[in-house]
Formats: sequence, C-alpha cells, structure tokens
Amino acid sequence: MEDRNQENLRELFGKFFNAEQAENCVDDIQKAEQIFRRHPAPEPDDMLIANIKAEIAMRLQAARTHRFRRIIYEVVGAAAAILIAAAVSLQLFVEKDTPRPGEVVYASLIPTAIWESDDITADDEDLAVFTAQIEQIEDEVQTLQSSEDTGNGENTITELEMELIEINSDFWKG
Amino acid sequence: MAESNDLARIITGCKGGDAKCFSQIIDMYASRCYGYFYRLTGNNDISDEMLSELFVKLVEKIGSYNGGSFESWLFKIASNIFHDHLRGKQRRKKLLEVQITEFESGTIEPKQSDGELTDKLQIQLGRMDEDTRELIMLRFYSQLSFKEIAQMRSEPIGTTLAKTHRALRKLRQFMEG
Repeated sequence: MEDRNQENLRELFGKFFNAEQAENCVDDIQKAEQIFRRHPAPEPDDMLIANIKAEIAMRLQAARTHRFRRIIYEVVGAAAAILIAAAVSLQLFVEKDTPRPGEVVYASLIPTAIWESDDITADDEDLAVFTAQIEQIEDEVQTLQSSEDTGNGENTITELEMELIEINSDFWKG
Repeated sequence: MAESNDLARIITGCKGGDAKCFSQIIDMYASRCYGYFYRLTGNNDISDEMLSELFVKLVEKIGSYNGGSFESWLFKIASNIFHDHLRGKQRRKKLLEVQITEFESGTIEPKQSDGELTDKLQIQLGRMDEDTRELIMLRFYSQLSFKEIAQMRSEPIGTTLAKTHRALRKLRQFMEG
C-alpha cells in the first residue's frame, strides 16, 4: 500500500514549501498514514466476492450470446438487403424490355435481320435482287402510264403497284 | 515491470471478455476498493453494493480504457459511484450526520479495544467534509501518486498537496485529541 509509484515526497513538497516546511508536511502525512495502517478497514466478505465473480461471468456469457445474435441478425439483414436489391433491379430491367399495354414502342428503321446479320455478302445479294425487282416494276409502271400498253392498263398498274409495295415491305422486314 | 506486464496482459484478457481475467482483477483490487468505499460511507451494506457496482461497471467500461494508470481509471469509476450514491441517497448521508452529532455531543464514547479502533477512525473521518474525506481515501487506498490524484481531480498538484496535508494533519489531531 505504500508504493505510491516511488514518488519522492520531500522533493515534491520542496517545490511548494521551504525545506523545513516540506519536512514537516512529509512527517505529518507519514504519521497520518500510520493511523490508517493501525486501523484497517474491514475486508470484503468472501461470499460477496464470489457473488460478484458469478454475476460478472453471467454478464459476460449474456454479452457473448447477444454479440453472436447481433452478428447473425446483421448477416441475415445484409443478405436480405442484397436479395431485395437484386430482385428490384431485375424487375426494373425486365420491365424495360417488356412493353406495357398502351406504351409506345419505337421500332428500328433498319430491319432487325439485316441489322443483326453478320453475312454482308448475302445481305448485299438480297439488296441487289430487291433493287432489280423494284427497278423492273418501276419501268413497267412507267411504260403502262405512257399508254404503251393497250388493253386493261388500269388493273395492270394497280397490280404492279401492289407488287412493288409488297416487295418493299418484304425488304424492310428482312 | 513484471507486475505492470501482468496487469497489461490481464486487462487485455478482460477486453476480450475473459472471465478469469476479470476474476484476477477482482482479487487484486477488491480489498482496496472496499476499504475506499467503507471509509467513505462507514457502512458495510452500502460498501458491498458499491463494490458490486464498481466491478459490473468495470465489465461494461473496460473497452474504453486506453492505457495510462489503471488504478487511476478504476478509482475514477469508484469515485463516480460514490458521488452518485451521495446524490441519490441523501437519507444515508443524514444518518451519518446524526451519528457525528451524537458523537460530538458525547453520546457515543470512542472505545479503545482493538476491534473498535476502526470505528473511532470512521467517526473522525465522518467529521470531515466529503471532498476532504475522499481525497484522503484516494491517497491511502488507490496508491496513486499526488500527481495522478491531482490529474484525477482536475486541480493543480500544489492544491492537492496542500489539501491532503491539511486533511491528514487534522485527522491526526482528531485521533490524538
């Protein structure tokens, strides 16, 4: 009980009092402390110490259980948050691709088959055939319109125009 | 040095929630802390409660201990418990004052048998104000240096030295008178 970190009382009191006063102070303190040594305070009861230790052990156990539960809750919470976020984003992407009733959908100007086709040669050939057919029909229409054709010219023009529209439509559909 | 290393190891164990380390801390400090509480309150039952509360608080607060003097940290908690007790239980304080008044009026005679000398010291301590009494108790039971006590009480070391000297000289006069 007398350790006091090995502080030097004389030196300490010497900073605030003269040498004689410092000596008296140290003497007073040491004598007063002897009174405490002669009159020891009662010791804590063994049963009390045992109870305190038992209570602390119980609290530590409870704290450990609580900490474990909290970790479980945190993990479950994080997993649930990830799942919800994944579900919501998935739903958002799916909703973007599927038009709702009444929703305006914009189609591509270029046919999808040609746009997505990697076979440039085949596409060029198709284009060449379609173009040739269109030109041929246009020539025929012009011939008929200039009354070179005698007979049922009106019907023939209509048929040719229909054929032209159909070919044109087929072309853009791919 | 070995002792401080041991204490550091025990404190680390306490921070990790090791019940054995807490048990060691209790064995190391229970006696001094109990003496501190008993000399401040003069009551075994209250001292029992305070000691229990101190170690329960130690378990709760050990994570906030960041080095430095462990005794200083522990006795700061002890001091707070005592002050809480003073604030919350004025009735007990009055009871102590009644005892002091009875002694001063000569109702209670200090006895000289060894077993009852303790009571005499307790009564003489009761004649002092709480602040002075606590200062003496810190000096005797906490084993803190004056510098640490001054830091704990947030006052200049010269003030702590002067107050302690005055208080102990007064106590000596009371005991010898």
